[in-house]
Amino acid sequence: MTAATEQASVNECLLKLYDEQHEIEDYQKGVPRWCSGCGDNAILAAVQRLCRDEKLAPEKTVFVSGIGCSSRLPHYMNTYGFHGIHGRALPVAEGVKLARPDLTVFVNTGDGDCCSIGAAHWIHAVRYNMNMVMMLHDNQIYGLTKMQASPTSPLGLKSNTTPRGTYLDALNPLTVTLGISNVSFVAQVVDWIPELLYQTIAAAYHHKGFSFVRIVQRCPEWLPKLMDPWLHDPERVLLLHHENGLRVSTDLTRTYRKLEEHDPSDINRAREIASSWDPIPVGILYRDENVPCYEDLRHDTRLRTSDLIRNGLEAEFDKFTVWPETVNA
Amino acid sequence: MQIDLQNQLAFFLTGRRSSDSEPRPSAIRPALFARYRDLTELRYDFPLVIAHGAPPEKTLRSLSRMVDDAALAADETDRLRLARHGQRIERAVRKHLAAKGPGDFATVWHSCASELVTEDAVIGDSAMTLWNSFATDGDILDADAAMPARVVKAAWNSVQAEKAKQFNARTARLLHALKGILLAEDIGGGAGRSPERLRSAVGSSFAGAFDFNELSRILVSSKPATALSDSRRDRINQLIATIEGQKFYTESGESIGFVFDNCADAVRSHNERRAEAVKLLRALAIAELEAAGNYREKTHDVLFENYGHNGLELSELGQLPDYLICTDGGAIDAAETARIVEVLAAGLPFKILVRTDDVLEPSVVAEGHVALGLRSRQIVDASIGLTDVFVLQAAASRLFANRARLLSGLSYDGPALFSVFSGANGHTGDFSPYLVAAAAVESRVFPTITYDPSAGGDWASRLDISDNPSTDDDWPVHRFAFEDADLQSNSESLPFTPADFTALDDRFARHYSVADDISEAMIPVDEALRSAPLRDRVPYTAVVGEDLKLRRALIDNRLLREAERCRAMWHSLQELAGIHNSHAERLLAAERKRAESAPAPDQSPVGGAPVPEIVTAEPETVAAEPSSDDPYIETSRCTSCNECTNVNPKVFAYNDNKQAYIADADAGTYRQLVEAAEGCQVGIIHPGKPRNPKEPGLDDLLARAQPFL
Repeated sequence: MTAATEQASVNECLLKLYDEQHEIEDYQKGVPRWCSGCGDNAILAAVQRLCRDEKLAPEKTVFVSGIGCSSRLPHYMNTYGFHGIHGRALPVAEGVKLARPDLTVFVNTGDGDCCSIGAAHWIHAVRYNMNMVMMLHDNQIYGLTKMQASPTSPLGLKSNTTPRGTYLDALNPLTVTLGISNVSFVAQVVDWIPELLYQTIAAAYHHKGFSFVRIVQRCPEWLPKLMDPWLHDPERVLLLHHENGLRVSTDLTRTYRKLEEHDPSDINRAREIASSWDPIPVGILYRDENVPCYEDLRHDTRLRTSDLIRNGLEAEFDKFTVWPETVNA
Repeated sequence: MQIDLQNQLAFFLTGRRSSDSEPRPSAIRPALFARYRDLTELRYDFPLVIAHGAPPEKTLRSLSRMVDDAALAADETDRLRLARHGQRIERAVRKHLAAKGPGDFATVWHSCASELVTEDAVIGDSAMTLWNSFATDGDILDADAAMPARVVKAAWNSVQAEKAKQFNARTARLLHALKGILLAEDIGGGAGRSPERLRSAVGSSFAGAFDFNELSRILVSSKPATALSDSRRDRINQLIATIEGQKFYTESGESIGFVFDNCADAVRSHNERRAEAVKLLRALAIAELEAAGNYREKTHDVLFENYGHNGLELSELGQLPDYLICTDGGAIDAAETARIVEVLAAGLPFKILVRTDDVLEPSVVAEGHVALGLRSRQIVDASIGLTDVFVLQAAASRLFANRARLLSGLSYDGPALFSVFSGANGHTGDFSPYLVAAAAVESRVFPTITYDPSAGGDWASRLDISDNPSTDDDWPVHRFAFEDADLQSNSESLPFTPADFTALDDRFARHYSVADDISEAMIPVDEALRSAPLRDRVPYTAVVGEDLKLRRALIDNRLLREAERCRAMWHSLQELAGIHNSHAERLLAAERKRAESAPAPDQSPVGGAPVPEIVTAEPETVAAEPSSDDPYIETSRCTSCNECTNVNPKVFAYNDNKQAYIADADAGTYRQLVEAAEGCQVGIIHPGKPRNPKEPGLDDLLARAQPFL
């Protein structure tokens, strides 16, 4: 360390003298209204833990969501939040990031919100590769509206909208994401292994770029038995580990013995893994740190003063304004 | 012949010359210089163009490269013509600068081009195309005494302009944030919700549709007003005033009054500005905290009260303009030398240029004594010894090649010394300063040295001598082609030593004696240095006279000693830079000897037992299973679903990671434990045995608990 950097650190210390310490409860707001036993709780606990461990300032953190059970998550986070409109969580999050690149942005969306009505936004968000974490709460059913088939519902699933069972194969969010240009981070995890869930979301948070995390989630209310075979048989979970991916603890490997060493830079293998379902692969499938972020490419160095914003808006409005004088004339 | 040798030995040992019939020594020059006299006919990196308003890395440009780049950027059909014409204009520019000195780039380029138009009309068009491609406004200059200061000042200016840009962006950001806090109070407070303000916000078109008094009443009563504390508002107002009133940078990014020609004035100016600097830097530090909402009066007030009390640190001072001191090495006395070292040692953000015109000046201590580059060497050695000073020693001819290092030094967060040898000492006849400077580098009299404390913690990272020619050798060796007595072409390898360098200087003429004949007693300088002590041998160096005839010039002992000293200094530089390191070489020799004397290792028979692969097995640590009599939860597998905590929050609680554990098994019933186990989605609750044998319905509960025990 040179003299100059030592001195720099002294100054940094002075500035950081007031270091905010938070507890997990500081990030909690209200009582979740999810059904008891819902996997959303596990995701909420994991992101709260991440916020505490990474010392994320609540006023610098934003959770954006669309519509669905998953999308209630911002209500329970004591940070900034935006409960958006159906399928449009990503455009809102992109707007936030573009205007305020200094904020940490998380997106919580569900299998209907993302893979059905929001599919177009999902594809382009991957391509834009803006630095944020997207959590796809995939419970394979529309829970909030009481059990309708979603794009990821398994073939033959009987629901209110498919009384004779679904006719189509489920859409695979992983293979879709891995097929989009500029994809930079894809992971899959299950809600019932909290340690892995936390680690995966943490890895997504540390990745600079658009981090897509599909969380396979149980819906105890409408599909109570669907995931039981996987939940109760550790042999049906495949842990992906690598020195550049997740490093799994011995505690975990004692229960989950099926392991594969997978290099997250290998997209071809990632696509193969993504296509498999049984055992469920969990871990980081793909990561590329070198994909540029859209907010960096389009970074505007101008200071966002109120004048700048007003003038910009006025100029836009003027294009469509019908001036009363002109009309009268 | 014997008499000749005696005379030559006498000259070598005493400097006494035997006859006056020798060619006038002042007319000689090193043989390797035979081809170089009129540099205007050659194409090389000079003259330099100092571009105005360019970013640091583009401030210094070489005319030759600009012409090449412009020609290469042109269409293929024009490329050759532009290159040819560009080179002709270049030659005219070199002649112009040699005759008239530096000037405005545009004026010099166009006037030289217009002179050539009389010879070839198309040149005018080529000159214009090239000029448009340069897109550079600035000055053009050749190597002379004033060049180093102009180059360093230009580079310093560009670095300061970058700093100013960052500073102005930072202050604009902070002012925006601070004013935003005040604005937020204004809008969120009562004033922002007054009927007048609401009316002005709506505008005139629809004003009639609103009852602003009522609107104001509703808004004021529905949301509490946000107000800043008086101390915070005062503090923010003061910060704004201090930052807006700063006098270190102008809005256009200039820093005025930071260039000096001596240390005393610079130090005085620095001390006068000190209080102002402390005030501004303190304001910036507080503003950062305020902007982030992190200023805590209880903690920070005391700290900032004493801000700068113990002197300011370089990382903070680095935000303000650096002081540039351009001194003239020839005019520096011992007191100024000491002051320069003192200033550098104080760790202030001073960038000092020591320009030396003469590295061959005679010693003031002893008559006839030679001490090559003594003055500049003292300052450079002392500065490197301070360990945190960036040092660049470079001859003027290498200044352009070392521009990146120059910029690193100017951007370095600390003091920096630039020692530059201009080559313009007035004693080298018609040799241009560029050639003299280049010769000083070549002969190791003034090697290029970079010492960058920010590059790492050891000599290997900090010291860089790679800019010198043939860094592994004592001297650079060149092939020299000539025609021998039988008119046959011949060639020889000639090293360029300090004895060649001093041959350029007329004050050293008395140390040379040009021999008419060749004798076996003569030995080249480099060999003489290798084979010391000399016995009946006289060292010489190859020279040419005005007639371009190759001769041998004997040198006296004093010059040989000086060459030896230069070589010793070069050796120590080499060692510090990791070349021929004596410690390493000794160690290597010792290791070699040991390896040779050690018995040969046994040769394993082919197909011997294979080396077993080492496999580190994970130790199987089995956690102590809690007794099945006590209820327990596999906490690390808990998915935080609230199922159990909803059953009885006294029995089931969350830990720091929001995962459930049994907080108090006695705070509830066995029924609750069993129900929680049944309800747990991931099956991690184990209810154990009932603690109260009198609890009703135990038999049924025990049966239900069976799967979870």
